Amino acid sequence: MTQYVLRRLVTSVIVVLGVSVITFMLLHGMSGSPGRAILGVQASAEAVAAFDREHGYDRSLIAQYLAYLGQLLQGDLGHSYKLNQSVNALLADNAGRTAMLAGVSLVLAVCVAVPLGVFQAVKRNSVGDNVLTTLTFVAYSMPVFLLAMLLIQVFALGLGILPAQASQSSSTFVIFTEPRAMLLPVLTLTGITVALYSRYQRSAALDQLAQDYIRVARAKGLSMRMVLTRHLLRNACLPLVTLIGMTIPLLLAGNLVVESVFNYPGLGLLFFNSLNNQDYPVLLGYTLVASVLTVLGNLLADLVVAVSDPRTQRA
Amino acid sequence: MAARTEGVPVVPGDVLTVEGLSTSIRLRKSAVDVVKGVDLRLRPGETLGLVGESGSGKSMTGLSIMGLLPPGGHIAAGSIKLDGRELVGLPERQYQKVRGNEIAMVFQDPMTSLNPTKTIGEQVAEPIRLHLGATPKQARERALDMLALVGIARPAERMGNYPHQLSGGLRQRVMIAMALSCEPKVLIADEPTTALDVTVQAQVLRLLHDLKDRLGMAMLLITHDMGVIARWADRVSVMYAGGMVESATTDRLFAGMRHPYTQALLACTPRLTQRRESALFSIPGSPPDLEHPPAGCRFAARCAHATDRCEREAPALTEPAPGHTLACWHPVEGPLEPAARPVEAAPKAADDQAGPVLVADGLVKEYGTGRLSLRRSARAVNAVSGVSFAVRPGQTFGLVGESGCGKSTLARMIVALEKPTSGSVTALGGALGELRGRDLRRHRRNLQMMFQDSLDALDPRMRVGAILREPFEAQGIGTAAEQLAAIRELLDEVGLPHSALERYPHEFSGGQRQRIALARALALNPRVIVADEPVSALDVSVRSQVLNLMKRLQATHDLTYVVISHDLTVVRYIADIVGVMYLGKLVEVGSADDVYLRAVHPYTAGLIAAIPEPDPGAAEPAGGLDIGSELPSPLDPPSGCRFRTRCPRAQARCAEEEPVLLGFGPGHSAACHFPLREPQPAVPAG
Amino acid sequence: MTDTAPPQQVTSGWRLAVRSFAQNRLAVAGVGIIVLLILFCFAGPLLYVTEQVAVDPVNSLLPPGGDYPLGTDAQGFDVLGRIMRGGQASLQIGLFAALIATAIGTLYGTIAGLIGGVVDGIMMRLVDTLLSIPFLFIVLIAATQFSSTVLSLSLILGAFSWLGPARLVRAEVLSLRSRGFVAAATVMGATKPRIIVRHLIPNALGVVIVNITFQVADAIIAVSLLGFLGFGLNYPDVEWGTQLSDGVSHLFEGAWWLIYPVGGCLVLVVMAFNFVGDALRDSIDVRLRRR
Repeated sequence: MTQYVLRRLVTSVIVVLGVSVITFMLLHGMSGSPGRAILGVQASAEAVAAFDREHGYDRSLIAQYLAYLGQLLQGDLGHSYKLNQSVNALLADNAGRTAMLAGVSLVLAVCVAVPLGVFQAVKRNSVGDNVLTTLTFVAYSMPVFLLAMLLIQVFALGLGILPAQASQSSSTFVIFTEPRAMLLPVLTLTGITVALYSRYQRSAALDQLAQDYIRVARAKGLSMRMVLTRHLLRNACLPLVTLIGMTIPLLLAGNLVVESVFNYPGLGLLFFNSLNNQDYPVLLGYTLVASVLTVLGNLLADLVVAVSDPRTQRA
Repeated sequence: MAARTEGVPVVPGDVLTVEGLSTSIRLRKSAVDVVKGVDLRLRPGETLGLVGESGSGKSMTGLSIMGLLPPGGHIAAGSIKLDGRELVGLPERQYQKVRGNEIAMVFQDPMTSLNPTKTIGEQVAEPIRLHLGATPKQARERALDMLALVGIARPAERMGNYPHQLSGGLRQRVMIAMALSCEPKVLIADEPTTALDVTVQAQVLRLLHDLKDRLGMAMLLITHDMGVIARWADRVSVMYAGGMVESATTDRLFAGMRHPYTQALLACTPRLTQRRESALFSIPGSPPDLEHPPAGCRFAARCAHATDRCEREAPALTEPAPGHTLACWHPVEGPLEPAARPVEAAPKAADDQAGPVLVADGLVKEYGTGRLSLRRSARAVNAVSGVSFAVRPGQTFGLVGESGCGKSTLARMIVALEKPTSGSVTALGGALGELRGRDLRRHRRNLQMMFQDSLDALDPRMRVGAILREPFEAQGIGTAAEQLAAIRELLDEVGLPHSALERYPHEFSGGQRQRIALARALALNPRVIVADEPVSALDVSVRSQVLNLMKRLQATHDLTYVVISHDLTVVRYIADIVGVMYLGKLVEVGSADDVYLRAVHPYTAGLIAAIPEPDPGAAEPAGGLDIGSELPSPLDPPSGCRFRTRCPRAQARCAEEEPVLLGFGPGHSAACHFPLREPQPAVPAG
Repeated sequence: MTDTAPPQQVTSGWRLAVRSFAQNRLAVAGVGIIVLLILFCFAGPLLYVTEQVAVDPVNSLLPPGGDYPLGTDAQGFDVLGRIMRGGQASLQIGLFAALIATAIGTLYGTIAGLIGGVVDGIMMRLVDTLLSIPFLFIVLIAATQFSSTVLSLSLILGAFSWLGPARLVRAEVLSLRSRGFVAAATVMGATKPRIIVRHLIPNALGVVIVNITFQVADAIIAVSLLGFLGFGLNYPDVEWGTQLSDGVSHLFEGAWWLIYPVGGCLVLVVMAFNFVGDALRDSIDVRLRRR
């Protein structure tokens, strides 16, 4: 077990280092001369060169990368010249609200997708299963923004019971303080995520249902419900844990779009605005953070699976 | 003496009666009657054997009784009564009170039958809490008692284990403990030992038998193995293609069967006493497709006694003698005489003078346990550790051993699919380890292989024509027309029609596919064919067809075989020289008669004793040869003699000193410090 | 007499797959939808000619009816014609991106799976690394660098979505390598290239084909996201994402016809590709599992 954890840790560190190389190269390749980017097109070539020299942008690529890595290791993600703020501060300002939106939606999605998938597996090929399969298929085939627009049309424009824009409050806990204003973004994100997970959960549950131990449990005299809750649920959820780890990039992408559509001030909106400003330090700073988050999520998921599955504990 | 219950106690009434049971399964477009008109009676304290080949409906009968049919399955007709209470149509809620409580079931594969993420203790305690209303503490205590009852050492420790920490034999004991925890009236054991090694099989069956007597329950023992039936069942029902063909007491059925299928099934079951000179009996053809069942008797197409009437009218079950039921228009009388049925072409005697065609010298294969290990002292598994033997032209070298003893790895090394860690293989004078590239490919012509899983060994996307053409193309032999002619000839030799060329492997039955594989192995006219479990995936009636074919081709093509099998009866039939492997080592080598009749290694003797003979009168194996516990982990083989942990004769010396192969007669040698006979020092080992 | 009765019917592997595919009504519907939408987008403009370059402010934001069956947008373009034009781009990009991704991924995965060992380890760590960078993020950043054309968007999407196929194909190659028929071919003296051409490629093909359909579905969604976030094709070109993005600003004015027809087409085509992919996967499984 310890060996497994160590090995996963080592590969995670390697992957994170790889990510830092890629973001560095992108930063370097995209913003070209940082001096030009900051001083603007009117600045003279000499001024740009002087700026680059002063900030070390004229050194060899490797030297620059090592400097960048050193910076990262100290927790410094760079500086946004466009907003004249450190990237750290920008991300920190918005992280709480995004974490809250993404977290609440994820928890809701798992709470819906797991029972839904198990139900569909047990009642496979019934009318209910077919209806649900079709619904999840539609949601799965729908870009996030389209679902958002549909919900806005129905609840904001049609029924007029919910605001079409998210709360602009800077409070981290706005979901709980202004639930009405946050319902549509949460619903959108949850809906898309449910579509993603329930299909998977259904097939994972089907796999488990076909296992011999399920039949043995039935032969012991357990009712189907007891078989599901005592035997199947845990084993059918282990693959989902891995899937959640792997789909963090998709969840963050969904979050980005939802924040842009509902104008919810979080990391996604920051990223969207930075795109339009070509503010690469911010873009790559968030990308790096998101990648590290993904690596950590995968690591965590693998560890959770390892801990809850006795078969992996022998190593 | 047979271990069956002597004189079934006269108990009024049957505990379980099944009458006219028909079960069908809905498929996408059609419905298949997997069980049709089955009658069973089970008295308390007795074991009823239900025997049949795969697809005969024997497992479906068991599942019907449990009310656990797969999706789409339902009971179409008939009744199942437990103590007079009708179970067919019983509401699910009430059925749950019967399952695991009054009727329990043990399934075939213990490796997958336990929930991998729950402890043994939890799983055994579950039915106790459910049915007996025990408190968690009481259930735990009872579970502990049950584990002790089924002979699990250190049960308290095992309670906290997870299934993967237990060997197959132990898991099956856990399954039995679970099934018996509520003292059911009826136990259905569905192929309870098929997935286990033969030495473990005997132990598990004895356990089931003893517990049945102790708890006074009735047991329905479902199996394909006539040997198991002969030794353990009081009465037998024989099933074929979903229907019941014959039912009688075990003694009567084996000595005076009336149904041609029963007769044929018994005749083609290989025995240790099988005479190698005569061909095995085999049933022609294969079982009918149940989606389109024949109108009359389902066995008619394969029956030697069938008439027009058999094909038109299905015979009903009759009772020609009390307790003996039968469904046949033209019954036979008793077993087939073991008349000499000579092999279609008599095998040439192996040339004793010729030098060996195949030599394995000190073969060792080690696998690392993990690819990336942080510790340097990563443990290596010794799959094969130092095996040497030589095979003369025209001989068959049979290699037997339990699963995990390294016999398949050895086979792959012999045909140069894997490189030995050390040691060498020399075939027809060429050292395989020294040949490279083109030379090795050319040399491979002489050395072909047959695999166990014929579906895996034939490319699913190729027609049989392309599959058989491949060896010629790979070796660049002949023009397209010549290749085609050769392929047709090959099909003739293995007894397949030329129309097979246009078909895909999945369209054939297992036996037919193994014929295709044999034809492919023959294509390059090799001198040596290595066959890894060539018939273990086949039903017994088809198995004998393939074995007979292999033997005939050996004679006509002057082939040398290396046949690897876990089944001692198969090796007995086909091999001239037999090697017995245990945990990567050859522990005994000798002529077939030496090994089977005059075994000197306690392991060999134990293996042979564990095989159930298909003869109810067969003597029980003499005591003292029972092999204890189970195979130790190959990761960490015992010191000294690897077999000592299971050996009844082991002494201190066995742990300290590894035995070497000693001679016990011409060509007969074994590695044991305390052999069953004294070695003959005059004869050199070898 | 032996067990030699010939099988009752000839069913080739592919024919069996086609049969099982045809039994899946959703899949057949999926193929139908795809064909119809392709005809609609590519042949439609030949029959239904509309002005899609010069703006027409007079006739902007007209509701459906009269000369404009699906109304007009803010620039006065006919929406029905606009959907056809946008669909051409969306479908093209989806298809190109999927082909690029599958080609790179298949090659990469095959090489890693065939070589194995340390090289495989390094190659797969690279895939792990790239997979942990959120796809949409990197694609958006890349999109800021190029002026958007059908080709550039296809290249960007393809260049960042080959990772899934690479993993899939590698796993398939590894499992095929351990199959009995590969061992059998080795024993009969077949060379490595021969085994690759005769056994590995034909058997891995199914997985690759299935993957392409899912990739098309994913790429169409991805390009709609790019379009929606403002990185789609530039005027006068258009794809469905950009069209929807333009529609959003008029959603509050009640211009529903700017959203639902094009949104419907988008969902329909993505769903169709997913249906087809699912059915293909099942039918390939059927062929291999039928024993």
